[in-house]
Amino acid sequence: MLHVENLHKSYQVGKTTYEVLKGVSLEVAEGEFVAVMGPSGSGKTTLLNCISCYIPTDSGSIRLGKLDLARLDEDALAKVRNQKLGFVFQDFLLLDGLTVRQNILLPAIISGSVSQQAETRADQLCEAFGISGIREKYPAEISGGEKQRTAVARALINHPLLILADEPTGNLDSKSTRAVIASFEQAKSALGATIFMVTHDSFAASFCDRVVILRDGVVWRVLAREGFAREDFQDQLLDAIREMGKE
Amino acid sequence: MKTFTQVYASLRRRSRGQYALLGGCSFFSVLLITAYACMMRSPTILTVLPEGGDSRKQIMMIFVLAVIGCAVFTTYAAGLFFRQKSRETGIFLALGASRKQIQSELFREMGLLSVGTCAAGAVLGMPLAWVIWQCFRMSVVNTREMRLTFDPQAYLLTLLFSVFVILMIFVLGWRSIRRTNIIDVVQESHKSEPIKAVPRWYGGLGIVLTAAGLFTGYMSSTVFIQVLHWYPPEGLTGIFYIPALVGLYMLLLHTVVNGWGGKRRQYKDLISTSMMKFQGRQTVRNLLVMTLLIVAAYFGSFYSPMMGAGAMVGYDARPVDYVYHFRADQDIPQGEEVEQLAAQYDVEITRYAQAPLLRLGIDGYDAIETETALGVKVREEYLELKNSELFLSAGDYSRLTGESLTLQPGQVVCIIDPINGTGGRMDPYPHIITNALTGARLSVEPLEPIAYQSLFGYYVMNDQDLAALSEGLPPEWREEVVLFDVAGCESSYPFAKALFNEIVDRSGPEVAIVDSWDPIVRERDIAETGSYFADPETLLELNGITIDYNQREGSTFTIYWKYMPQFRVMDKADFLFSMAVFIMVFVFVAIVCFAAVFIIAYTRSMTIALTNRQVYDDLRHLGAPNAYLYRSARGQVKRVFFTPALIGTLLILAFYLLILLFNGETVAITVTEAAGLFASFGIIAGVSALLYGVYRLSLKKVCRVLGIRQGRKAS
Repeated sequence: MLHVENLHKSYQVGKTTYEVLKGVSLEVAEGEFVAVMGPSGSGKTTLLNCISCYIPTDSGSIRLGKLDLARLDEDALAKVRNQKLGFVFQDFLLLDGLTVRQNILLPAIISGSVSQQAETRADQLCEAFGISGIREKYPAEISGGEKQRTAVARALINHPLLILADEPTGNLDSKSTRAVIASFEQAKSALGATIFMVTHDSFAASFCDRVVILRDGVVWRVLAREGFAREDFQDQLLDAIREMGKE
Repeated sequence: MKTFTQVYASLRRRSRGQYALLGGCSFFSVLLITAYACMMRSPTILTVLPEGGDSRKQIMMIFVLAVIGCAVFTTYAAGLFFRQKSRETGIFLALGASRKQIQSELFREMGLLSVGTCAAGAVLGMPLAWVIWQCFRMSVVNTREMRLTFDPQAYLLTLLFSVFVILMIFVLGWRSIRRTNIIDVVQESHKSEPIKAVPRWYGGLGIVLTAAGLFTGYMSSTVFIQVLHWYPPEGLTGIFYIPALVGLYMLLLHTVVNGWGGKRRQYKDLISTSMMKFQGRQTVRNLLVMTLLIVAAYFGSFYSPMMGAGAMVGYDARPVDYVYHFRADQDIPQGEEVEQLAAQYDVEITRYAQAPLLRLGIDGYDAIETETALGVKVREEYLELKNSELFLSAGDYSRLTGESLTLQPGQVVCIIDPINGTGGRMDPYPHIITNALTGARLSVEPLEPIAYQSLFGYYVMNDQDLAALSEGLPPEWREEVVLFDVAGCESSYPFAKALFNEIVDRSGPEVAIVDSWDPIVRERDIAETGSYFADPETLLELNGITIDYNQREGSTFTIYWKYMPQFRVMDKADFLFSMAVFIMVFVFVAIVCFAAVFIIAYTRSMTIALTNRQVYDDLRHLGAPNAYLYRSARGQVKRVFFTPALIGTLLILAFYLLILLFNGETVAITVTEAAGLFASFGIIAGVSALLYGVYRLSLKKVCRVLGIRQGRKAS
């Protein structure tokens, strides 16, 4: 599904060049729920932004299915973002002037026009994520957890190949965090969604099938859950982080 | 909702305020420009402003200033609109919309908004000009000449300005879509400027440089002309104002970055000062534009009260109601004929006096100008026969004025204006008086000038001396001056107008000359250069000025005609008419400039709120109480509004004081100038109250955006 190979990305600040990604390679299979963790400055957000096509890469390749994202022009990239990818952001990025249902339908609207099917799917997603009761409300009238569940539903409306989530629980309390993670799990199990999530939160990461840990711009370790109970997997993650701190 | 267009429509409904601000500014600017253009191009107004004259140039300069002001505030409003829109654009881009898709929706919206508001402004501009004019007619002066007529050509200016507004909105919209960075929106990150330390002495040095720049700028032309005897090329004196601009920038930079609280308030103002620091360059640039606009607006606003108050005091101070003079070879009404005309209009003449005047030559220093590559050099040269002046005898002076004056043979005295002195028009101390035709001359001893407003500009001599010099003078070198008072002067306007028309109708073409026309100077100039600047044909060619008896209502005639009578009631009414024109245009420019100031201040305040929303959330999470957040927000908004207002007001007051102090013969403020200054303080008070209202409104909006409770609720 997603193939990232030998990815390099650096930033120029004044006369100094900061190499943020120093040859990252990873793969995400269809239907997999993968998290990327790592300390600040490890390059996880930059990796996500490269995959999202928000920033260009220096070298290496990112392939989504059969598409080589580095070779696409701006219009083709916009099409990929709209139809092949779904996005969930830390700050939700809902439009305040649209209702919950309208926000969910937005990627479908951008892609052309909204079919009866899309409207039915929006209603189904509202139902699935427990936000049917607020679908005619505006973002200012709902809680953070509800906003993020709306964002997850929006990410799924166009049947994307991959959902990219950037710290989706970063602005949420524990109750809302559970609700959002539950919606990801449901998207994966019921809709077969593939999810790639950047997070600081070991609790959120412990629900994933695999966790890629980045350090200083390279993949430091990959941990797979492989049938472990969630709590045990979280312990493994915490141990790995502790170990990284000691090195 | 199924289409992208419907999404835009829905978002538009939810953010009506942003659209209203942009649409309102676009409408308001085109409305003002149309009204101003209609006014400026109106034949009614153009008759008041002489072609090629200073006042018409001023009106044009003010129009340019108004256009700049309107362009500035409309551009600022558009900038704020697209800044607010950039989040939406970023989200659309992040969700896979193409820039072309967003652009086509935005352009459709902007097309409707800009064309619609510009058209509405253009249509309503003319009625607005008419309504304001009617208000002036009803409240100030209402004469036949005040009927406002319009020239459709004014709409060309409206069209040009509308094209600018529409293009500007499209270009900014296009640029906003091109520049919107998904990452900035996704990460809600802020672009901050690198901060450079601003030394605290910037404040003090800024004040010194501003004051020094104003002084050197204003005084430079006096020094050039009076000390160096040199008229420098245009623009050179402007260089001397540059220190003021540099000082102003330093002053504002210090105010924004360091504040004026000193160490005592270092921690109290820490948050608000540091937030402003991060947008320091933008903020200082905004404040500088606002300060200059405030200075320009006040300069325009003060012009009318300064002129108006001074002139009205001057008219009331005249000792005689009716004064006129005419050449002895002209058949002008006098004596009984005037009394008969007065009787026709039920006007009673209470005192009548008439005396002969002689045109004689005087000696003095003539300014000889030489064109050089570096401007005009001036040198002074003594001439025994420099120019001509009008003389009357001491006996006639006593009879005309009722004030006893005795002069010994060989004595001469000049009559000056009690308020403005010689007004720079005459040399009060001649030593040789000459009959230019016979060559007879008399050495005289000049006495200290005497003041009598209605005979201002004449010289008085001993009766026998004058009689001796008058021998051989033909009628065209002789004049008569008539002075009379009437009962109920204020209601004698129809009589004044009738007498004026009679005087003009019966004046021959040989006296259709400007005030500065002088037979002695003419003879010398023609001998030296072959032409004389004040001859009608030369003057028409050089400055487009002509004395036309058919244009007697126009300001060119009333300002420049050599024999223009001084009838108090008519002068007052005509002055009010021309003042109404000036007030109108200056009120317009003041409105435009102040509107620009208000909108820039409002948009800057809103930018502060939008940029710092995250910081206020962080502060809240750190436990900052509402009262603290309110104080911090208020501190920033206050600085945006009050810094340019205070500095701009002080600057213009300092500049006007300089003008008033140094424009006369002595360094002092006259009674009329003080009256004008007092009226100007009223304008400052009114504008300040309005500015305070906009400040309160902006603070309320900023607090709403930042989720801060205001007023008593703040604590």
